[in-house]
This record gives sequence, structure tokens and C-alpha cells, in this order.
Amino acid sequence: MKVEILQEDFSGALNLTSRFVSTRAALPVLSNILLEAKKGKLSILATNLEASICKNIGAKILQEGEISVNAKVIFEIIANLSHGSVLIESEKEGVKIFSEGFSGRVSGLSSSEFPVVPRELSKNAFELDIETLLNSLSKIIFATSKDETRPILTGVLFIFEKGVLSLVSSDGFRLSRISFKDSKLNLTKRITIPRSVLSEIIRIKDETGHKIYLDFKEEENQALFSFSDSVIASRVIEGDFPNFEKIIPKSIATKVYVDRETFVRAIKLASAFARDSANIIKITVNENNVEISSQSAKSGEQKTKMDARVEGVGLTISYNYRFLEEFLGICESEEVEIGLNDSASPGVFRDSKNPDFLHLIMPVKI
Amino acid sequence: MKPDKNQIWNQVLGSVKVSVSSAVFSTWICKTHLVSLKKKGGDRYIAEIGCLSSFVKATIESRYFGLIQDSLTSALGFPCDLVFVIKQPESSLNTNTQAQTPLFEVEMDNTYFVERLNQSRIRPSQVFENYAVSSSNQMAWAACDAVSKNPGSSYNPLFIWGGVGVGKTHLMNAVGYSVLKKNMDFKVLLCTGEDFTNDIVMGIRNKTTQNVREKYRKLKCLFVDDIQFIAGKDAAQEEFFHTFNAVTGAGGQVILTSDKPPHQLMGIEERLRSRFEAGLIVDVGNPDFELRCAITSIKAQEKGLDLEMNYVSLISGNLDSPRKIEGFLIKLSSELKFRQVEISEEFVSNLLGKEKLDVNGKRRIPTPEAIIDAVSSHFSVNKKALMGPARARMVARPRQILMYLLRSELHMPYADVGGLIGGRDHSTVMHAVTTITKLSSLDSKLREDILGIKSAL
Repeated sequence: MKVEILQEDFSGALNLTSRFVSTRAALPVLSNILLEAKKGKLSILATNLEASICKNIGAKILQEGEISVNAKVIFEIIANLSHGSVLIESEKEGVKIFSEGFSGRVSGLSSSEFPVVPRELSKNAFELDIETLLNSLSKIIFATSKDETRPILTGVLFIFEKGVLSLVSSDGFRLSRISFKDSKLNLTKRITIPRSVLSEIIRIKDETGHKIYLDFKEEENQALFSFSDSVIASRVIEGDFPNFEKIIPKSIATKVYVDRETFVRAIKLASAFARDSANIIKITVNENNVEISSQSAKSGEQKTKMDARVEGVGLTISYNYRFLEEFLGICESEEVEIGLNDSASPGVFRDSKNPDFLHLIMPVKI
Repeated sequence: MKPDKNQIWNQVLGSVKVSVSSAVFSTWICKTHLVSLKKKGGDRYIAEIGCLSSFVKATIESRYFGLIQDSLTSALGFPCDLVFVIKQPESSLNTNTQAQTPLFEVEMDNTYFVERLNQSRIRPSQVFENYAVSSSNQMAWAACDAVSKNPGSSYNPLFIWGGVGVGKTHLMNAVGYSVLKKNMDFKVLLCTGEDFTNDIVMGIRNKTTQNVREKYRKLKCLFVDDIQFIAGKDAAQEEFFHTFNAVTGAGGQVILTSDKPPHQLMGIEERLRSRFEAGLIVDVGNPDFELRCAITSIKAQEKGLDLEMNYVSLISGNLDSPRKIEGFLIKLSSELKFRQVEISEEFVSNLLGKEKLDVNGKRRIPTPEAIIDAVSSHFSVNKKALMGPARARMVARPRQILMYLLRSELHMPYADVGGLIGGRDHSTVMHAVTTITKLSSLDSKLREDILGIKSAL
């Protein structure tokens, strides 16, 4: 293999792909990336056995070939080289690197040891608008569970139905759902994709084009994403997502509309004492205002009153303030809508300007 | 004996571990599991091996296939083929219980479902899950199961008939329950033939016939229990005819139950009868002993009674209808509660004995003469001919039945039976008894005859 490539391109691609390399691999080949020069392009492949990436970059291929090298080492070297052209040449079990005033050799392994990584999507792939998908994902991904004892909740549920894609995440205490229409969607499917891969995709966002392509390989239990010269494959989480449709309240007894910034500030104030008492804050809904109070046996107590538009009966409900804080963090409009039924059933939180977004939070029982 | 999957796989993993480096083993091989192991003709096995991801699968398939196949072959002692699939081990999917998820434990909107059940007059206690199936009701159950999965298209109408207390209503109710469970907003109504008639009458009286029509004709599923009650009621039949056409015409499902098959229903208009006959007609027979056992144990469980098998068979052997069983179990559980005693065979049979007296008044033991009379009148055969030497079939078969009854009901000795019936040899009687015993399990006509005679006693 002999390739001439621009340092900027190569370094960026290595930065991206090295996130898919397992950090604590028992097998040396798994901490490697695979470089593959073929048909006028250089492909960089990496996998942690859960997910994989194949990133293509333009390069001048002087001789085709492939080799796997340690991801960390090669990234450190390439990242610190000066801009401009870099020459890479494989030699036995390793690669030689030449740049202006630099020469080095990184030892590697034969490419045959490297796991099989998907390089392209099948004919069945379909496209989605990348902005919409990634924006929607970033609004709900925070509600996924980090608790591995219930694997299905560590992923985001994708529901394709009647030209609408709904994304659902939940950790058992709260639930987020966001939907958007795409007239070109015509499949009906439910699939759960791990959070880790999706958050990587969100991070890559900046360097993407307009479209993202999705493909599902039923037999391999795999979901594939393709955008701007990258193909990312992920395993699909097995199992049934809990029946969340049932827990979305059909009717709402009390609706409260509050100013988002005021609400954020009130929660910040309450959190000062709530931290000592299991993060619990109390919300009291009155006729035309809402009181947020918290207390700590050790350090004191507080009460914040804020104006609100209230429709329905007054009530008192307790929440973990962190859940409210995280929800408010992703809200964009000035007003937040809260729908409550009683102190023991989940509250419905909405961002006023985004009717397709829904967030449920389970209150704390006292 | 079937080999234990986990044990076999541990054996395989153990032997593979020796042949590869520990890094290779821990990365690729140790997280696999054996999904299934099937025999594929002769002495060859086919093993399905689950891998966590497609990367693992591809690597193992291409690199360690031979190694695993050899180890599995030697572990099993038979040649085997391998198939790789991507599947999480079951154990990892079942650890759900530990994680706390209060959000999903909220009362699952039960109230709405219960409300819908009430509106549709479906009883939540009669569902497929607690319906026991045996040969006497298998056909009816299968038909109902098919209807519940695909209302309106499988068998329309479905006509279920059978005696009292055999489970017709339970089946129909179960269809309604599962249809509603799938879609709570489905318009389902279960009513009796009498309810329907009453509604019509009220409609005529209050000049609200239109409302009654609205109520019935827009249904997605109409279940009418005891349809025979509309017999002889012309207005109700007329209305039902149109309702029937409206519901089935709109793709709705109709299920009817009755105590007789459609062609035996008296006082039903011809056009209605022909509609009933257009769908599937299934009958539910009286439950046999095994089915009664199953029913007894289901009902006992529902009542929180922990009955051992010997009590179950004692109860089902002595009571012939599910309703009686139900009543007996209620009695049993309350007696046990009041008297604070442990259940025992004596206690149960004591209570059963009382049961018999309660139901039949006194238990009579028939005389031989009574049995002879009953047989002769049942078959319209002269008593003299029964006792006589004639061996024509029309006399001989009743005679055999008579001998069988004398023997089985009165436990008379063979010789005495023979003496009573025209001085026959005891071996003739023995032959008759074994013949009838054998035939009664095969010939339903014969069974009916015997039942008829017994009830005449």
C-alpha cells in the first residue's frame, strides 16, 4: 500500500474513527484501525464489536493494499504533523510515514485479523433529512437509561409508521418522545438502537451533508447509517420496549404555563437545598401562580413564587429537580407547558412551540 | 435423554479455550451461547450458536468454525452442523426485574379498559387463558381463537351450540375480551337473546326504535347468547335479521350461541335460519373426565385453593358439570375456612356425599326388575323376547345392555345375571359385559342409550 494524503483530512478522519475503537481490548487487533487503499480512495475502518465505522477520504493511491495499525499511535503522530501532504507506505507488518522533515514507522498487523466491517448500505436503504433527525435525537437522547440491567432502555426506540418517525427514550423515571413527518418514509418498523452510537453520530454532525441514509439488516441484527463518506453500523438492542403509549395520560386535569427562564431560575434556587434531601423539590400549583419550595434539614429552606397561567384545579406534586433541569435544558421556546393529573401520576411536559415533542416525568412519592 | 444445552456448551468452551490464546477466547468465543440443538435425521445434530453482534459472528464463522465444530462433535458424540445467529442469551434479557422503572408501573390505564368491558358487557373473568380445551370443545375453541384474531373475516357468523354449562358463553366472552384488549375502542356488545327482545319491546313502547337500531347496527362485534329465546317473536326476529345483515355487511363479526343446532330451532324464520347456517356451526359437548379435571384445577386455583391431583380427580369423577364443580369448590373453600381444618380425602368425599343428597334428594338403588322394565321400554322390546332364546340382533343387543347394566349398576354376580335372563350361562354374561364396555367407548349411540336408560331408572 502506498498513499499520498493531506494531513488535515487524515487527522480529522482518524479522530473520528478512533472513537469506535475499543478502549480496553484484550486482543491487539481490536485497538487497531484498518487502512484500506482501493479504487482511488482510502478507507479507515474501526470497530469495538458493538458498532463500527468505515470512513472514506480522498487520497492519491500510488499502490493498493491494506494494513491495520494501532489507532492511538497513528492518530497522535498524524495529528501533530504540519499541514500538507503525508506519504504512507506499508512495509511488512507496519507502515512508514513521511512528511516534511519527518519520517517514522508504526508497526501493525496483517489486515486478515481485522473483523469484518460493513462498508456500504444495501439497496433497501432510505434517506432522511439529517438536520431534522439529529436535532430530534439530541432533544430526547438524554432520557435514555445508563443502567445496564435493563438493556432495552439504554437505547432509543425508532418507530416508523405511516410516514412518521417517532423517537422514544426512557429510563423508567421519565420518557421523551419526538416525532416528525417524512413523506418518503413508507416502512413500518420498531427498532432500538444503542445510545452510545447515536451520540457519536450527533457529535459528528458538523461535518455532514444534507441527507442521512438508513438501512436495517434484519438477519445481522444491525442498523446502518451512512452520511458524508462514513458508514456507521450498530447492533440493535433485542427485546421489547415497554408499552409507553399506555402511560401517556389521555386527559389532563391541570395545565400550567410558565416562563421558561423564570422556571429555570426557580429550580436553580431550589436545588441549593434539594441536594441534601434526595433532590426533591415541591411544586404547588395555585390559582394563578406556582410555588417551588425545597428544604434541607441541615442547611435551611426556601420558597420561590412565580406567575403562571393555570387552567384547572390546584395541586401539590414533588419532583426530582434534576429531571426538570434536564428537560428545561433542551427547551427552546419562552414558555413551557406542564400537564398534571395528581401527585402520583406522571406529569406531561411540553415545549410550547414544539407540539411534536412530549416529555413525561414520574413524580417522587412522599 | 436430551443433552443439556448449557452443560454441552460449557464443555465445548472448555475445550476450545485450550486451543486458542486467552485474548482470542475472551474476545470472541466466551460470550457465545448455544441457542438450540436439534436432531436432524439419523445421528446428526444441528446446533444454533448465538453471538452478541455481527462482528463476532463473522469472525467466528470464518476463523473458528472448524474448531468449534470439532469440539461440539466430540462433546456430543455425534457429528453436527453449525448455524450462527445474532442473539442475546436469554438470561440477559430476563434481568429486567432489578431495574427500577416506576414510570411503567403506573396503573396502566386499567380504568378505561374496565369501563369498556362494562359497556360491552364482557366479563373480565371469562377469558381464553382460563378456558380448558379437550376433544369435546376443541373445534369450538379453535374457531373462536381464529375469530378473535381476525374478527369479521374468519367465520361469520359463528354459531356455537351445546348443552347447559358446557362453556359456550365463556368462549364467546373470551373472544370479546381479546378483541377489546387489542383495540379498546372497538364496538363490541355481548347480550342475550332476551336482552335483544326486551330492547326491541322498549323501543316500540317508548318510540325509540331508532336508538335501538343505532345501538345494534353500528357494532363491530355482536355476540348474542341463547339466540333461541327470540324464537316465536316476530318483531324481534325481523329486527335481528336486519341487524345481522347490517353488522355482517359492514364487516363486523357475529357470534351466536344456542342450545340446539340451527335446523332444530323451532319458531325461527327460514331466512334467519339460513343465515345462521351460512357460517360455521360448532358444537360443544359435555366435558369428559379429563376436561373436568382441568376445569376443577383452574377453578380451584382461581379460588386460591391448593388442591392436589387426587382431590381434583375425586371431585371431577363425581360431579359431571362445570357449574356443579364451581358450586362445590365454593362450598369446599368456605367449609375449610369456617372449620379451620386441613383438606383430606375423607373431608372431600364427605362433602361430595352430601352434595349428592342435596342434589338428588335420596339415592335410590334400582331393583333388577326396574332395570329390565327400563330396557324393554327403551328399546320397545317385549320382556319375553328379552328373556327368550331369540338371537336376532335387535333383541340380542338390548339383552347385552341389560346384562351390562345389571352387572354394573347392581354388581350382581355373573351367574345370577344369567339365571335372571332366561337361565343363561355365566360366560355368556361375561361376554356381553365386555362387549358393551368396549363398545361404549366407541359408539356414541350406545352411550346415549345407556344414559337414557339410566336416567329412566
